[in-house]
Amino acid sequence: MRSLRREPALLLALLAVAALVLAFIVYPQLNVVLTPGPGGYVQFLQEGTWLVPLRNSVELTLLSTTTAVLLGFVYAYAMVYSNMRWKPFFRLVGILPLLSPPFVVAAAYTLLFGARGIVSYGVFGQSPNIYGLMGVWGVQTIAFFPFAYQLIADALSRSDPRMEQAARNLGAGSWRVFWTVTLPLSRPGLGAAILTTAIYILEDFGNPQLIGGVFYVLPTQAYSLISSFGEYTSAAAVSTILLLLALALYLGKVRLDGGRSFVTISGRASSMPRPPVSPAVSLACFVACLALAGLILLVYGSLVVSALTLRFPNNLQFTTEHFQYVLSGTNGDALRNTLVFSGIAAAFSAVFALFAGWLVQRGQWPGRRVLDLLLILPAAIPGIFFGLGYLTAFNQRWLDFVDRGWLIIIAFIFWNIPVGYQAAVAGLRQIDRSIDEAASSLGASSLRGFREVLLPMLGGSLRVGFVTTFVRAVTTLSLVIFLFTPPTTVATIRIYQLVGDLNWGAATAYTVADIGMAIIALSVFAALARGRIALGAARA
Amino acid sequence: MSVQTAHVRVSHVTKRFGGVTAVDDVSFEVPKGSFATLLGPSGCGKTTTLRMIAGFYDPDQGDIEIAGKRVNDLPAHRRGTAMVFQDYALFPHMTVRDNVAYGLKVAHVSAADRARRVDETLAFVGLGGLGDRWPNQLSGGQQQRVAVARALVIEPQVLLLDEPLSNLDAKLREQLRVEMRTLQRRLGMTFVYVTHDQEEALSLSDWIAVMNAGRVEQAGAPWEIYYHPRTAFLADFVGAVNLVPARVDDLADGTVTVRFGAHTAVVRRPEAPLRTGQDVHLCVRPESFAIALAGSAAGGLALSGTIVRRAFLGDTMRYWVKVDDREWIVDQPDPGGSAALDGPVALSLRPDRVHVIAE
Repeated sequence: MRSLRREPALLLALLAVAALVLAFIVYPQLNVVLTPGPGGYVQFLQEGTWLVPLRNSVELTLLSTTTAVLLGFVYAYAMVYSNMRWKPFFRLVGILPLLSPPFVVAAAYTLLFGARGIVSYGVFGQSPNIYGLMGVWGVQTIAFFPFAYQLIADALSRSDPRMEQAARNLGAGSWRVFWTVTLPLSRPGLGAAILTTAIYILEDFGNPQLIGGVFYVLPTQAYSLISSFGEYTSAAAVSTILLLLALALYLGKVRLDGGRSFVTISGRASSMPRPPVSPAVSLACFVACLALAGLILLVYGSLVVSALTLRFPNNLQFTTEHFQYVLSGTNGDALRNTLVFSGIAAAFSAVFALFAGWLVQRGQWPGRRVLDLLLILPAAIPGIFFGLGYLTAFNQRWLDFVDRGWLIIIAFIFWNIPVGYQAAVAGLRQIDRSIDEAASSLGASSLRGFREVLLPMLGGSLRVGFVTTFVRAVTTLSLVIFLFTPPTTVATIRIYQLVGDLNWGAATAYTVADIGMAIIALSVFAALARGRIALGAARA
Repeated sequence: MSVQTAHVRVSHVTKRFGGVTAVDDVSFEVPKGSFATLLGPSGCGKTTTLRMIAGFYDPDQGDIEIAGKRVNDLPAHRRGTAMVFQDYALFPHMTVRDNVAYGLKVAHVSAADRARRVDETLAFVGLGGLGDRWPNQLSGGQQQRVAVARALVIEPQVLLLDEPLSNLDAKLREQLRVEMRTLQRRLGMTFVYVTHDQEEALSLSDWIAVMNAGRVEQAGAPWEIYYHPRTAFLADFVGAVNLVPARVDDLADGTVTVRFGAHTAVVRRPEAPLRTGQDVHLCVRPESFAIALAGSAAGGLALSGTIVRRAFLGDTMRYWVKVDDREWIVDQPDPGGSAALDGPVALSLRPDRVHVIAE
């Protein structure tokens, strides 16, 4: 406190950060929660229209989390423990889904198994009804098991190999070591991984929206209440129920892992060798991973094939027509919007998160616990809720002079703060305070010490914040579904619209272009950052 | 130590962390140009005190003055107190030259002046030619010198050093100890040095404050602390010592007669108040004895005993000698090539080397 009084510039910076957090994290969310008012909530609860979507959301989350975690666990175990071949390949395939909107799985699923799907109709001559719980369950499993894999692999690889060496040395076999040493030790990490996967699935909007049909879950219910009926009050109430569920899961996760909301994927293999498993287990792992990687590649493969053929699957003649369509006119604009919005948001978000992380981690002032909580909060807020908050708070006439693109950019910035923020806090924990003190004992003020001494040492945290925000911004649908206007349409919205028009060729070409653009942008960034790039896997 | 020459003054300073009082009403003055050391075991409050002088902690009570000015409300970067850290805290992303130049850059010293002063200082600490290295390319001793150079170059009012030698090996520590002392003499700068190593404190300092449990137990010249400790803690902390329970038999002007075991001795009377019949401790340093084979003539206070075990320390041979029912630590300086003593021995002790602790 006294240090703030001595350094007015620091006090001003802190007030500015607090004001931004209040304006763009607290106020819009509070706005949603308060929209219905007490009377509105009572009426809404009595109407009971929320019961079915709530039950559906819970049911879908339970089922999909179970299956996604099981598959993810197999993949993770194989990657961390087995001596199977092709690990770099499997690692690469495992990262691919993190770079693309999850709802591409729904699109591919429709192409493969839908009424005119290449497998269902082409091979089996069936036109099944894929909409509903079973379809969404299957799609969510495939869409989110790669996330579960990343989180579980991180939890497993955190266990100390020396413990396992010691257990083996005492005579336990590899299976026994896994069940009696590894699993108990990584239980909190695994629990947190499961809850995080559950949050992703609970909050996902794209997949249930595309193939849920009349199977409404909370996010799709909130969306349809607004888009079909203009029912802001009920939509706000439904979103609040969703928020409460997500918050409950998130609190459980924080209790387990202390609030680490990201995993860094840096492409490096884990450092210390683990005790070898038997060749039979490795072979089983290899087969399982091959099947799972096959599923992922089937999704992306069918997208690519569809994008490059005239009318998949009936007319497989090669064409670039879809890509020409995607890159022209308003389609091209939307793609460019995505790149520009995401790039600006990623840069601001990374820098702001780093600065806020420094204020909280290094500062000694009352209320820093509160700011800490508020900066982590967006990780628990479903995209649909966050977007609704910005819609109700900032879609005001007096703000018309501001380009609506900025609304999307600001939403990207603050929705994605937690990852960069936590990376900053983790990075700062690695830097001894004596470094700051050395700078200040040499005459540098705290802000100057931060800028000249700490900031250059926190490149890793900055990159995690940048890359993660960028990827999440490129791939989110739920956050922008309420915020876009015709001139500020972004790629995910365009894909969603094209799928809705059943224009599969263009939709898939657009998806491929979007993912390709993300990969190219990240490669450029990686080249600029001299290859030191790490991706925080967190998504809603 | 007159009021006018006090360069750093700490008056009635208290610092609490939660319920723990880390520094408890500490007062002392450091004269300008002197080498002052805060000595004590870990957790005694010495580093906390140093950090309050630097401005990294705020005292809960009391004042800190530097050059006659109260600095409690000055932020750390305006105090003119450069600090050398235990782990050196070199900026890993800057070269040696940039590390040393940092403080000058902050102070807006022109590039030409900066380059000249950095080169001078690097040469001064014996690192000429290493300016373009990165900190992680240097040995521990070199890193330590960079840390000192980085702090010295800004010509601080007071240089604060927080256990700067503790991460180095013994040989290097001893060498740098000498260099540090020479450097301080040459610059005439006020140094406040923190260490838990009594040998370091004794060899470096003009003045030592021994701290324990947040308080200054005793402050003064190194030899005062060593030979005339006021408490048993001090005697024990500063060097090896024989602490022997005794009783005051008789008091005279300047002397005191003490009885311990079956022996009596007339020794120097300490400043602390004493009364007849009081229980006291005798403090006898191991090197204050002469040791010889039993039967040899022994002057002064003569004790006879048996060697229980011994340790060869290089410059001395240390014996544990059992006299009646207690063991004494006895050092034989310059043991040379002669065979170590064994069995019954005669000890002699000059009474003026026996110090009475009246606690």
